[in-house]
Amino acid sequence: MAEDNPTPTPAEQAQKLYEDAEAQTAKAMEDLVHQDSFGELLAKVAGNVVAVMKIGGDVADLVVGNLRVAGRRDVLSLHRQLARTEDKLEMVLQEIERLQEELREARETAGRNGGGGAGASTSRGGGSRSKTEQ
Amino acid sequence: MNPVRDLTRLPAAAIEFTNIILTTPDAHIASSPRDVVWTHRKASLYRYRSSNRRYAVPVLLVFALINRPHIFDLRPGNSFVEHLLEEGFDVFLLDWGVPGDEDFDMGLDSYVCDELPWGIRETLRAAGQEEVSLVGWCIGGTLAAMHAALEPEGPVRNLVLLTTPIDTTGSLYAKWVGRESFDVDRVADTMPSIPGLGVDIVNKLMKPVTNYWTTYRRLWDQVRAGTAKREPYQAMAKWVADNPPFPSRAYREWITWMYKENRLVSGKLRLRGRRVDLRRIDHNLMVVTAGADHIAPPQGTAPVLDLASSADVTHIDRPGGHIGLMAGSKARQEIWPEIVDWLEERSSA
Repeated sequence: MAEDNPTPTPAEQAQKLYEDAEAQTAKAMEDLVHQDSFGELLAKVAGNVVAVMKIGGDVADLVVGNLRVAGRRDVLSLHRQLARTEDKLEMVLQEIERLQEELREARETAGRNGGGGAGASTSRGGGSRSKTEQ
Repeated sequence: MNPVRDLTRLPAAAIEFTNIILTTPDAHIASSPRDVVWTHRKASLYRYRSSNRRYAVPVLLVFALINRPHIFDLRPGNSFVEHLLEEGFDVFLLDWGVPGDEDFDMGLDSYVCDELPWGIRETLRAAGQEEVSLVGWCIGGTLAAMHAALEPEGPVRNLVLLTTPIDTTGSLYAKWVGRESFDVDRVADTMPSIPGLGVDIVNKLMKPVTNYWTTYRRLWDQVRAGTAKREPYQAMAKWVADNPPFPSRAYREWITWMYKENRLVSGKLRLRGRRVDLRRIDHNLMVVTAGADHIAPPQGTAPVLDLASSADVTHIDRPGGHIGLMAGSKARQEIWPEIVDWLEERSSA
């Protein structure tokens, strides 16, 4: 039986003591962060960080603007224009796809009614909008 | 244990430990072959390659806004995507991408009313199907639930919500960011996008010793004992450290509506003038909650079960954490088969 339950070595005992202490510290810290006062502290720290970032950003914008160099705001403005253009393009593409489907259905209906033109050429796979990765 | 021998091994262990930490950014994650089906702004829809598609209804995966969706496909041998493909599903992933400052105008409505339905639409077009299984995890689950509530007649046949925050009452997040002294408007007005690092710090502060110390101490012990598993550690560490920015408008709405006012569970949330009423969810519904989830605790994820009007409801509650439950070493044996079995029964043409 003694072989099943060997006496821990001093190193193992030290390790066990350390792990217990760490677990207790972790629990204590979790209790700490659950307190209202910690939440209040976190909110104020976040407010301060944001304020400092705003001041830093404003100063940097001022410097870059006075140097007559395109700055972050200018680049951002261009990015926004691109994003808006892409939004519009997406809407146009969706409208085209909707019309293609309508046309295909109309042709199929006409084909079934003996009106010919069954060879609808529209693709549903979105192939032109897909590409391969990896 | 020989202390002298341990001491002589210390330099080699220190080098190995340092190497694991320093080479973590080079770890290969999300490596399953896939094709880009559709993109809009930063969002991309991927379709995973497979020669084994047996089920008609495709599966669309949606993840949170605060981490990358690579966790669905973490690494070969431990990938939910790989598992779904092996089981014969046609798998798509809607990746929100990495928003920039120019995406400051993206609100929750942009995700729920535009990107998600457009992603579903393109999924159906690519798969040639009329219905889809929507699998949302964390905030991705909340967005999926909002969409399902807005479009009960839409093409979503099966809705799977993994550790999805619905009711934030009493949560630690609500205690931190829901309080009046946390001025979310000031934060959102100052920054066009909230840096991922900031969100990550707050997440890690929920378990500060575990996240900032114990993880590394355990790795050090494993390296010394020669039992360190480099690939699993690096894959997870790389994913954890990859936090995209949160567009300021979406951040403001998420914090205000979910944590300050808790609108979703009370049915007061409106997107583009339409009320998001979770009672309108009548899809086949699976809800997965994790007993040890400190980010989205079960008391905040389970309420959707009471609200949804679905006739077909399955609830799986397992011990485990917010991420560990689905991406941990036991997930492949324990939780994935249950999800796959559930989907299989509901994915025929």
